[in-house]
Amino acid sequence: MKYELAEDYVAPQENALEASKDSTKPQRTLWGDAFRRLRRNKLALIASVWIIFVVIIALSADLWVPQTFGSPTDIDSSTSAARSLLPPRIKGLENLGIFDGTTDKKNLTTGEMEHINVYQVNAEKYPNSGVQDEYHPFGTDLLGRDVMSRIIYGSRISLSVGLLATSIAVLIGLIMGAVAAYYGGIWDVLIMRLADIFLAFPYVLFVIAVLAVFGPGFQNVFLAIGILGWPSIARVFRSAILSVKENDFIDAARAMGAGDWRIIVRHIFPNSVATIIVYATMSIGGAILTESALSFLGMGVQPPTPSWGYMISDGKTYLSTAPWLMMCPGLAILSTVLAFTVLGDGLRDALDVKMKDA
Amino acid sequence: MLRYILKRILQFIPVFIGVTVILFVLQNVVPGDPIKLITGEKAVSPEVELQLRIANHLVKTQEFPILDENGQQVYDEDGNPQMVKRAVNSKGEPVSNSKDAEPESVWDRYVYYISGLLQGNLGNSYQKRRPVADIFLEKYPYTIRLALCGIVVEIIVGIGAGVISAIKRYSFWDVLVTLSTSILVAMPAFWLGMLLQLLFGVNLKILPISGAGANSAFPEYLHYILPAITLASVSTAYTARIMRSQLLDVMNSDYIRTAVAKGLSSRKVIVHHALKNALIPVVTYIGIDFGSMLSGAILTETVFNWPGIGLTIYQAIMQRDWPIVLGGVSIICIVVMVISLIVDVSYAFLDPRIRYGASAKGGK
Repeated sequence: MKYELAEDYVAPQENALEASKDSTKPQRTLWGDAFRRLRRNKLALIASVWIIFVVIIALSADLWVPQTFGSPTDIDSSTSAARSLLPPRIKGLENLGIFDGTTDKKNLTTGEMEHINVYQVNAEKYPNSGVQDEYHPFGTDLLGRDVMSRIIYGSRISLSVGLLATSIAVLIGLIMGAVAAYYGGIWDVLIMRLADIFLAFPYVLFVIAVLAVFGPGFQNVFLAIGILGWPSIARVFRSAILSVKENDFIDAARAMGAGDWRIIVRHIFPNSVATIIVYATMSIGGAILTESALSFLGMGVQPPTPSWGYMISDGKTYLSTAPWLMMCPGLAILSTVLAFTVLGDGLRDALDVKMKDA
Repeated sequence: MLRYILKRILQFIPVFIGVTVILFVLQNVVPGDPIKLITGEKAVSPEVELQLRIANHLVKTQEFPILDENGQQVYDEDGNPQMVKRAVNSKGEPVSNSKDAEPESVWDRYVYYISGLLQGNLGNSYQKRRPVADIFLEKYPYTIRLALCGIVVEIIVGIGAGVISAIKRYSFWDVLVTLSTSILVAMPAFWLGMLLQLLFGVNLKILPISGAGANSAFPEYLHYILPAITLASVSTAYTARIMRSQLLDVMNSDYIRTAVAKGLSSRKVIVHHALKNALIPVVTYIGIDFGSMLSGAILTETVFNWPGIGLTIYQAIMQRDWPIVLGGVSIICIVVMVISLIVDVSYAFLDPRIRYGASAKGGK
């Protein structure tokens, strides 16, 4: 007996595809759903807008920052003395007396109110220095460089260290976690013991010790933060992968003859990618904080390249006379790190990731 | 229980060895000749250089009997032959030039390092010409006192804020706690320390901003306030978060509903039933955190010029005084590891589920 397909036969899958094309309902995917949920989360939305804003500013800095605010590194020896430690001044606000460094205070001996200079600067500092027409929204540092310009260029260091260090940590952590969880047995014991050893070191101190030995600099900073950051990530991925591994579709894939790496790359990773994204987003903030701490100790990117942590330590000497030197870069770190944490939280809720060991 | 503690101690040993190996490797990849770092720019005679190499276990040595002018062996009062350590070449013959001496093998240097570590001998500081262990013995009390103050802040503020925000969920206080913990976690602690200095030290002039009380116009205890708050800031935020989520978790459990149904007041339910169980993970976290506070907050101590081990290590890094840096890191790692071991064991005492879980697994 011979079976023949009818002339108008359509394979079932194609049929389903046709049907879905006809349907007016939008297709729902995991990522579509997650994006919709994320969009409803106002805080996460603000955080992502802030991150995008900082990234755009950092990328486009060469095009407009030196012209607008002045070079972040060059010191003009003829005018640097005049521009030294100017307080913040914003066009249109300079006559309102906002943050001009003066205050009314009661004189304790005479009992009368006096107008005194808290930061030993005054509203006339710009005209007195002969730079009447200049506006430095975040003030200037000791060498007369614009703090705003330095913060914008500093964001390049922070963002790239955050991104590079996290990529390295995630890559190593992913491989280690996958091998430990998938192969189990002796591999699991070896890798997790190695992770325990790394975690026995206080993290920041470990990074500092490594940098003390290998020397400071951009490359060493992101390598040290990244390479030493793998164990906690490996632990998270290990537990994520272990829970995926229990699923029937893994057995099915193996039954179909898929090799180990095919199963890991094609079946396990796509199912734990949500955890990876959430954890990586949060790690970027942590890496930025670590970088700022290293720069603060003088072990990060070396001057004159501006970095936020170094700028804060620069301001330490002028805490009472020029507090804007430490205030502005600190706010830059706070807002950026906060944005990454809030976005990470939002992603976690949107992707419905349960964080274990985190 | 005993099985669990034994298992935990056995796990401790490979980690300890691994940590010492990493520290030893760090010590040995330090660029530059250690002799140059010890002597600085000064040129030294070959004899002195050889003695330094012997003292730092950089060359192979052997004991040789001391001979007097007649070539006779010298004995001490007890009749034992007097010996001297001399550098040797690859054939085992004594040499008087460091170029001819055979370098000590890596394995032997590791053995020297670890036996020194176990005896509390961490070598000598290059700059201060004193044993590293003595320097840390002198500085550690400052760090311990600061850590104790920090832990008090963390317990009172962290647990208090966590409990309040859990009990009054979604209230103004809850939002305030959630918001401030998020900000504290995202803030560089050293920056917070400087803000506190600016506010309380520079503007209000009510608290000292640096040092631990020597030659100061303020009473000594006031010096602890700002560094302790700075040191505890991040972990206080985490404590509050963990406390809140644990308490909310426990409040949803069946036995709390039973207690409420029995007619107990909400205060009694929270204090006698909920808090006890909710506190277990919080106590663990605080215990581990105490360990990391004892690791000498290098940033806090630098900002406040606090004469503890963190500042000592930072200054040593700046002066390239490696024995202090790596000796300090060694001490700290051991302290942190021992404390986390103690925390784990006491966790098993506090929470029977841990030890039963462990012995059930061990029994298989």
